[in-house]
Amino acid sequence: MGIISIEKANNLYWLGRYTERVFTTLRKFYRIFDSMIDFDDAEMVYSEYCQRLSIPNIYTSGQQFVDCYIFDPKNPDSLYHNMERAYDNAIVLRDELSSNVVSYIQLALDAIASAKGTAAPLFQLQQVVDYLFAFWGCVDDYVENEECRNIMKTGKYAERIDLYIRLQYHTKDIEKEFTKFVNRMKKTNMHCNLDKLAELTEIINTKKEFNTEYQEALNCLQGIVEVV
Amino acid sequence: MQNLVDHTVEINKLLARYGVKFGIYKNQEFHEQLFPFDAIPRVITHEEYSELEKGLIQRVDALNAFLKDIYSEKKIVKDNVVPEDFIFASSGYLPQCEGIIPPKGIYSHISGIDLVQAKDKSWYILEDNLRIPSGASYPLIARELCRRAAPGTFKENNVVDNRNYHKLLKETMDYVNCGGISVIMTPGRYNAAYFEHSYLAERSGCVLAMYNDLFVEKNQLFYRDYKGENKKVGVIYRRISDEFLDPMSFNSESVIGVPNLMDVYRAGNVAIVNAPGNGIADDKGIYYFVPKMIKYYLNEEPILKNAPTYLPFYEEDRKYVLDNLEKLVIKDVAEAGGYGVVFGSDLSKEKLEDMKQLIINESRRFIAQEVIDFLDLDIMENGEPVPRKADLRAFVLSGKETKVWASGLTRFSRNPDSFVVNSSQGGGFKDTWVLSR
Repeated sequence: MGIISIEKANNLYWLGRYTERVFTTLRKFYRIFDSMIDFDDAEMVYSEYCQRLSIPNIYTSGQQFVDCYIFDPKNPDSLYHNMERAYDNAIVLRDELSSNVVSYIQLALDAIASAKGTAAPLFQLQQVVDYLFAFWGCVDDYVENEECRNIMKTGKYAERIDLYIRLQYHTKDIEKEFTKFVNRMKKTNMHCNLDKLAELTEIINTKKEFNTEYQEALNCLQGIVEVV
Repeated sequence: MQNLVDHTVEINKLLARYGVKFGIYKNQEFHEQLFPFDAIPRVITHEEYSELEKGLIQRVDALNAFLKDIYSEKKIVKDNVVPEDFIFASSGYLPQCEGIIPPKGIYSHISGIDLVQAKDKSWYILEDNLRIPSGASYPLIARELCRRAAPGTFKENNVVDNRNYHKLLKETMDYVNCGGISVIMTPGRYNAAYFEHSYLAERSGCVLAMYNDLFVEKNQLFYRDYKGENKKVGVIYRRISDEFLDPMSFNSESVIGVPNLMDVYRAGNVAIVNAPGNGIADDKGIYYFVPKMIKYYLNEEPILKNAPTYLPFYEEDRKYVLDNLEKLVIKDVAEAGGYGVVFGSDLSKEKLEDMKQLIINESRRFIAQEVIDFLDLDIMENGEPVPRKADLRAFVLSGKETKVWASGLTRFSRNPDSFVVNSSQGGGFKDTWVLSR
């Protein structure tokens, strides 16, 4: 323990990204689900969401969107699928993270599976949010290696910025997450593309409208960190 | 005890939460399965354990002496105690290991010895596992959860604490460490025993590594750190088979090994736990000779008995086997994991004849054993105790001293008509209590 291989650094980074992807998209999904109640045209709601996330709109109705986007393990964009990818990365890190930390990923995965087909799946899915909160709390408490925590959180904030930009969060929110991202990244030994970082810093500092510049910002973000 | 049994469901839920699973391939697809836990423990009394402990230490010491002899002077062959056909024709014998004396002369650092208890309470050794025996992690984590479920049960009973396995493992690895970090090498998460690899790494503080984390340079083994500060490895507890360990020495098509690892090992720069080539000593054919080894190397009478075994290789035994096949169990020496085991009583007349012919044609390939009338252990099924066949895998660790872990993996068959207890074939497991007095 305490020595991180290239493979593990990669797993740590992607564990951070996938857990955040599930966390943020699930919280967004609550709002989408709510909007679909009032809108007659549910398709308009979820199709815009798909467009924002650059995922294919393969859904045929509001209900089918809920079933497939949340629960379908074969849908590579589904919440369940992304949680499985988090699990894939976590399970190979037991020696670094501890069984206690990894158990929250297992619990979150199981919670999505058990919410499927229930009368009020959003109630059940609240558990997923809770487990992911607990996961990060547990990471701070149990993961002794600071480098590990920094790599995971670099991934977490990279994903959060990506999603916030796509989902048109307020610029202030994005700025806040960007500061956290840079702080964490600087504490790791991951390769950083300084040109891309400077470019993204400029976009954020000049408070450009992410609505129009978001693809540019995302391209910069993608190229900043290189794990392997 | 009832309090513990009443919490079986909760304990199994916690085992699921902590990812206590094993991997299995079905229709060429990988699945992770939970390993069902039954809360009624196997209880071994203090007196019984004292005898078992002595017998297990004796057996493993003899097996280690055998391995040292076979890969050097081969006195036991020269003295006609073990026929050479059983050495050089065995797939477990690796000529690449000839002449290599591992650090501190230990070959089998972690031995998994499978035993069964007969109805008369006597113990029989079923087989020795000296390559990469698995299973210690399951009772290790289960005990932790059982104590949470029913503290009173453990207060009232004098159960030896078994939660020291990782310490014994680390101690064993440290003893042979050639200078450097300690690594547990796994083939990856799609291996059947991956949970165990990762859990033992977590508990022992060893680094969990895959083949691509390790490399050889200047006859030393290194762990590749992502910061570029490579660390020398002093001991590697490899959880991959010999044939895949080093493509330069064994299977050249292996992509999960470390090229030139055997050179580092041969130079004495790294200890490999367990030593490559141990397969010769846990070959099912060699099993027959272990009591003879104990007399030969230790000049002692074997404390623990083998199950009555016949080698069709010997004419007298072959005749007995052919005459009594319907009441014997036949084992293919090349198989493991409960596969290649055939009960004569299950075979039709036609199949019996086919088997007899096979034994005549390939007498070295099989051993035959009397069917031991196992002492059944109760398991809970639908709220009722029901008897099931069970075995015990005892773990013996050889470092500065040879020590037996005061616990073990008790596996049981969930099928009332089956003797096969392997997890890969649907079996479950129990905690194994050793009483301190």
